[in-house]
Amino acid sequence: MIDIAMLTVRELIRRRFVIAAIAVTLLLAALTAWGFSHMVEAHNRTGRSLSRIEILAVSAIMLILIAYMFSFVLAVVGVFIAAPSVANDIESGVLLPVLTRPISRAALLSGKILALAAVVCAYAAFAGLLEFAVVRAITGYLPPHPAQSVAYLCLLAVCMLVLTAALSTRLSAIASSIVAIVFFGLAWIAGIAGSLGAFYGNDAIRNAGIISQLLLPTDAMWREAVYRLEPAATLALAGSGHGWPGPFFVLSPPPLATLMWTIAWIIVVYAMAVRSFALRDL
Amino acid sequence: MACTSLPYAIDVRHLAKTYGETTAVADVSLQVARGEIFGFLGPNGAGKTTSVKMLVGLVRPSGGNGTVLGAPLGDRRARAKLGYLPELFRYQEWLSAREVLRFHCRLASVAKPGAAIARVLDVVGLSQRADDRVGTYSKGMQQRLGLAVALLGEPELVVLDEPTSALDPIGRHDVREVLRSLKAAGTAVFLNSHLLTEVEQVCDRVAIVARGTVVAEGSIAEIVGLQSAVRVQASANGKPLEPVLSRFGALRAEGGTFIVSGIDRESVPDLVQALTEAGARIFAIEPLSGTLEERFLQIAGGAQE
Repeated sequence: MIDIAMLTVRELIRRRFVIAAIAVTLLLAALTAWGFSHMVEAHNRTGRSLSRIEILAVSAIMLILIAYMFSFVLAVVGVFIAAPSVANDIESGVLLPVLTRPISRAALLSGKILALAAVVCAYAAFAGLLEFAVVRAITGYLPPHPAQSVAYLCLLAVCMLVLTAALSTRLSAIASSIVAIVFFGLAWIAGIAGSLGAFYGNDAIRNAGIISQLLLPTDAMWREAVYRLEPAATLALAGSGHGWPGPFFVLSPPPLATLMWTIAWIIVVYAMAVRSFALRDL
Repeated sequence: MACTSLPYAIDVRHLAKTYGETTAVADVSLQVARGEIFGFLGPNGAGKTTSVKMLVGLVRPSGGNGTVLGAPLGDRRARAKLGYLPELFRYQEWLSAREVLRFHCRLASVAKPGAAIARVLDVVGLSQRADDRVGTYSKGMQQRLGLAVALLGEPELVVLDEPTSALDPIGRHDVREVLRSLKAAGTAVFLNSHLLTEVEQVCDRVAIVARGTVVAEGSIAEIVGLQSAVRVQASANGKPLEPVLSRFGALRAEGGTFIVSGIDRESVPDLVQALTEAGARIFAIEPLSGTLEERFLQIAGGAQE
């Protein structure tokens, strides 16, 4: 399994995924630095500079929006590195001589998933913490729990990665990618609808959101992540209105059991992937 | 560990594979001895590659059972001493040939991988390009790499699925030499090939499969039949000899001679005696050896109808 994991990491390096990810992350950090610098120096309508409180409030909101974009990027990265790694290797025949060696299919798939998950999490940690560091250096603002937030985003990416790996043991790379992204989109919409249902007391819609989070807990992980980016003042502001605070704010985090469920979900889907791969004729 | 004292490298009975309503392999029973080069022949779609994949554990049989190197089909113990070159040969194009081989050495726990890699690279003639990316290789070079992968770790059984399909005549000659050296070292070779002349040159025994079933099995001589036909040059002063000759097999005239097909070795003296009794003067009786290709077309063609 370790040999397969090392080979998978080497493939991502040789195929320039790692260097491309680093380059794009640095570009994003540079753009963030440029944007926040201008924000700090900006004048409001009366011509005076933004107050310290205003800078912190705007930084908190902007970071949540960036995290929202980043969660989508991580989900897509998880899908697009898992699908070809399994399906393309099956279709191209690369796995045929490998699997006639004394190695189990479970070890091969585990090695791949382990390596891909490690790379995605490393990328998430590098990009996420770099972004927080840049914003703090310029504005002085740091969210309440940045490391926890990144950890939940990592779980979101791992969910998508494992789901795609399971699908790609039976489907082509393109088909498994499309199915996984559609599921992600459905879970996202269902999660938003569920929060609306909860806010307005519609049990049917709220329950639909809960069920979708059980079937694919990516939206729950997003909610966990964003809750840990919200300072008390932002929470109070978002909750002070009379209407629904929108998809970008979470007034209360999902229950603690959500984390346990997500870990169990990853284990179950991983086991299904291993079983599916073991039973497949190559 | 796989049991090395068993006489057969491959011993399978009534292997079958179905995909829904489609039968890919109906009934394949084979025994391949250690140190034997065994040819596996059949027309396209006969179930050869599916059978090979069942032997190496890539496809699970729907029926039948058997052992490879003394272990059940697909068992990891057997795979430790198995070399396999698939028909669809693809290797990690972003690695060099040496890196591909090093990876397989680790998977197979090959002792002294450096020496083993150097040896197989030399055998397949890739030493000069060993550090180039596989993606830069021609198809023939990739097939040579596949053969090198199959030869790693001194396997007891090497399964080759169309090993020369991308090779030039020199490469094919090299592969034949490799096969002979494997046999000399006591390694069993299971060769699936469309190139019948190649099979004829190197194989000790062959099996012909058609419609997923083994329809003939034996040594080349048994399959071809050394005296399946004789050429007869004789005359009887204008008296027709066809009635006499046709009693011994199918008859056709060819350039002033007669070809009697389907006659067995034991009947040739009887044929000579019959001609003599008919008053014929015999100028020549020439045994004709058939080719594997002729026999293959006959057997496989008959089974397909």
